[in-house]
Amino acid sequence: MTQKELLFSALRHEVTERAPWVPFAGVHAGALIGADAIELLTNEDVLVKALLEVNRLYKPDGQPVVFDLQLEAEILGCQLLWAKDGPPSVANHPLADTMTVPCRCTLPKPEDGRLPMVLSAMRRMKEAVGETTALYGLICGPFTLASHLRGNDIFMDMYDDEEYVKDLLGYCADCGKLMSDYFIEAGMDVIAVVDPLVSQISSAHFEEFLTDPFVDLFAHIKKKGAFSSFFVCGDATRNIEVMCITKPDSISVDENVDILASKTITDKYNILIGGNIPLTSIMLHGTQQDNMKYVVDLLAKVKEYKNLIIAPGCDMPYAVPIDNVIGITQAVLQTAEVREMVKNYVSVEDDIDIELPDYAHLTKPLVEVFTLDSATCAACTYMMGAANVAKEYFGDKIDMVEYKFTVKENIARCKKIGVKNLPSIYINGKLKFSSIIPSKEKLEAAINEVL
Amino acid sequence: MSIFNEISENLQKGKAKTVKELVQQAINEGYPAKQILEEGLLVGMGVVGEKFKNNDVFVPEVLVAARAMNIGAALLKPLLMEAGVEASGRVCIGTVKGDLHDIGKNLVKMMMEGKGLEVVDLGTDVPPEKFIETAQEQGCQIICCSALLTTTMGMMEEVVALADKAGIRDNIKIMVGGAPVTESFCRKIGADKYSADAASAADAAVEICKTLIIEQEERGSL
Repeated sequence: MTQKELLFSALRHEVTERAPWVPFAGVHAGALIGADAIELLTNEDVLVKALLEVNRLYKPDGQPVVFDLQLEAEILGCQLLWAKDGPPSVANHPLADTMTVPCRCTLPKPEDGRLPMVLSAMRRMKEAVGETTALYGLICGPFTLASHLRGNDIFMDMYDDEEYVKDLLGYCADCGKLMSDYFIEAGMDVIAVVDPLVSQISSAHFEEFLTDPFVDLFAHIKKKGAFSSFFVCGDATRNIEVMCITKPDSISVDENVDILASKTITDKYNILIGGNIPLTSIMLHGTQQDNMKYVVDLLAKVKEYKNLIIAPGCDMPYAVPIDNVIGITQAVLQTAEVREMVKNYVSVEDDIDIELPDYAHLTKPLVEVFTLDSATCAACTYMMGAANVAKEYFGDKIDMVEYKFTVKENIARCKKIGVKNLPSIYINGKLKFSSIIPSKEKLEAAINEVL
Repeated sequence: MSIFNEISENLQKGKAKTVKELVQQAINEGYPAKQILEEGLLVGMGVVGEKFKNNDVFVPEVLVAARAMNIGAALLKPLLMEAGVEASGRVCIGTVKGDLHDIGKNLVKMMMEGKGLEVVDLGTDVPPEKFIETAQEQGCQIICCSALLTTTMGMMEEVVALADKAGIRDNIKIMVGGAPVTESFCRKIGADKYSADAASAADAAVEICKTLIIEQEERGSL
């Protein structure tokens, strides 16, 4: 079974051998190749290169191709404020001063805005990894799109002119249907309708305004042969049930929602739920250990792998340390081993006597590669691969050793040296490369420095 | 039901037209503006704030209630000024530079106004210098910074640093909030107060203003 088939199986609500993993690497994908968010979201080659790096390092079962909720809004007349380390924001609202619904003739066409670039990137990703990885096409949800167009007045409109809100949401849902068609045609397997604002309204308002357009949208996606997902951000706990009633194949929530409590509701409707690794406290500011622990703890609380996806709470911040995502990847792919590692990390005390090399008096350069396990962790495999190439090149002129984190003694060694993240390469006891795999030239240069 | 209860009940339902009529009726019946404000409008907004904090009402309900309050308060404003009634404190608020999100900021503003504070709204994408200048020029007790993005919350640290440099930290306190902001982040950057929701922010602001005004009066009387 390929990774894509595993995810499809989960989306068909079958029991799977492990929980699927869908890293929402939006702008963060750029960080993997040193590109900023503006380059990533406007340059097709940069985008594809970054997404392939996500695929290579994080071994996703499913992966979004573009995470930009402003794509449609830009086409429909909103100006964007661009940032280097985050997705753009909507700077103005074309319907702020006019309570009108635009003509359907204004809806996005494949040649509008950044769509040609996005659709082409989707096709290239499909060609490159589509056999083994499920690809997510993300569209802006009708309510959030309506707020992009109308501004915050949309909330007041819900009291002042219900019919107007319904008409505008109808227009935005039609936009969603068209975008879904384009994305499915470009090879996307899952259409995620991302509507963060859903957490800001009551269930009664959801039922009054959103149930119909969402039911319509998810039925359309199903008819077109793709899976669907309903992404929400913020504390949407109270709305999980009304979201289920709109019949998506899956729902994705962030850390503001108790995912296990919500799973009892989604299970009732046989809908898959995904989430909810905390974006800031764990992914951005936590350690690799924190990230692995969060995932293994979450997985320990479900009795079987059914109707559950492990994913970040939402689009990962640009600067999430790569090490943290690698740790999560490993925790999903090798849950039992990582559970043991985390347990050992906590329990291993300094009483395991590790003798460190006398780094100051080595007879030849010593390259130490610290990995989670180069046999199973993709990033570790590449890191180890880079080290092996160097060893082949330098031969007897250098010593090289791999320390796998699966062995207790190696954990003690990591603690003693102060290794914070895996995989990493130390040369003569000094950290040289952490998580980002060095090129052959860079590694050789680093070794030559101490030869 | 007293007219104040009626004002409060209708405000909670967001019935702006009725609130306006009731406030006018109370004025005509000779009730002092301060009493109409405090026992009618502010009580109603207080209930909305509490319900919002407890997840019983949400953004649309708060917005329509605040609109009703503002329409009622507009009728009272000239009377309050005439009677020399002052706000219980002055706050300047804005979303930090690089961030255009304003729903949260607007909710905090409304809740603060609902607690009788005067609020200077700097809007969104506000540079750190602007917070400091405005607070000094307008005699604010508090600077409130909002951010929705992990990438912009760092701007709050610059506001704190500029306030330190300007030597105003004794007289002007800095409050922070927004989805990615946490208590530990607040401590880390040296801000004075973090609030998790709009209603708590308003409660905290009232307390801070009260303390600062007492301190300032004490200093003034020495």
